[in-house]
Amino acid sequence: MDSGAMKSPATKRSPRSGTSAPFSSKRATGRIHPVITFPFRHPANLDDLGELYSLVARFDADQQTYARPITVMDCKTRAAMVKSPRHLKFRDRIAARHSDIVDAWTVDTCQMWYSGLGAAFERGGPNDVYWLIPGDFNYGSCMGKEVLSHLHDLPEICDELQEDVCIGEIATDHNNSKQLIDTYGTFALLYNWFPREAQAIRSCTERPRSEFFAVRHGFLKDMLHRRWYAYEQTVVMLLHAVIEKKTISRYLVGNISDLPEGRDSLSSAMQQVERTERVLKSFWREQHQEKAAWSEHYRQLEAQSEQVRRTALIVLENLLK
Amino acid sequence: MSISRGQYGAHNITARNFICVAPQAKHVSVVGDFNGWNRSANPMQRGGDGNWVLRVDLKHGHHRYAYIVDGQVTLDPKAMGIARDDHGERVSLIAVS
Repeated sequence: MDSGAMKSPATKRSPRSGTSAPFSSKRATGRIHPVITFPFRHPANLDDLGELYSLVARFDADQQTYARPITVMDCKTRAAMVKSPRHLKFRDRIAARHSDIVDAWTVDTCQMWYSGLGAAFERGGPNDVYWLIPGDFNYGSCMGKEVLSHLHDLPEICDELQEDVCIGEIATDHNNSKQLIDTYGTFALLYNWFPREAQAIRSCTERPRSEFFAVRHGFLKDMLHRRWYAYEQTVVMLLHAVIEKKTISRYLVGNISDLPEGRDSLSSAMQQVERTERVLKSFWREQHQEKAAWSEHYRQLEAQSEQVRRTALIVLENLLK
Repeated sequence: MSISRGQYGAHNITARNFICVAPQAKHVSVVGDFNGWNRSANPMQRGGDGNWVLRVDLKHGHHRYAYIVDGQVTLDPKAMGIARDDHGERVSLIAVS
């Protein structure tokens, strides 16, 4: 990645005035804050993390463009390193060298985001962009390297085009578990609980649960000060973005259509659908509990939701067994 | 419809080939923030296979664009991304680096 090219100025023309203006004059002067969520379980080999942190080292060296990267590590992961000198060495000599490590007791990945994005936000300013990078991805593979080569586009799109949030998408074939979960689970449930917002989300992205995203300072500030969910926080963020008319963009960061790495077990897929439903129920109540007769409407949607979830689980069972 | 990478030029400029598949169309142009969304700035040329092609020099960065196919704004189905224009309408996204 050529970081010099990434930040170079370009020329834009205003559609209304027709006058040329340097692209840099529209661009914010803020910095990009990379936030890496360290894998909860120790990977069998460190090739993937090694590839990721070679990129993180480059961010750390480019202080004009990037703030000091942050790595969020679950305290249970850190404790387990005592029995694994190889992983402890990686933490101390690689991760801690190129990033500030935030040790946090977390129940799930979304809580790691909360800790990491929150820590980055406290160092940031109004023009800054925050960039989440999940650590549990096979970055050492050919496909992983392709994803790594495109990831920097996400915060740059937010920065250059003044987007509030940019979602990174990984293309999959129709029978990939991620695709099945989103088609028959996430979107089906969204259409039940938030039909109007679901259509708006789908016009922006096919990956409403993506862990690859970048978000601008103002929108992150709003999100951090609201209720944060332990699961499926990207869906919640997109719902807020649509409700509050924020700008959402998407960008393709890679393709895993022919590789098995992205496949989840049936049990994991079922759990993801179930917790998406739980989050949507909670979020719907939060949005409607001030209205009269909300509980009656809620019961009706809940009955429909159960049918949607059952159908999704049947589909997943048929295709992922 | 797609975009292919052209050769690198000087001063952080890269030539990109815009390709729009519209064999029945009578006129196709490409608009974007690189030409002020001017419909007459970059008319595309019809190729022998029914594709419409144009090479455009783009500065490094991220650009929003769309095709105008017989007067209709059309997204590029093979674009790397989607964003919104200044009026909130969906447009295609290209990264140049």
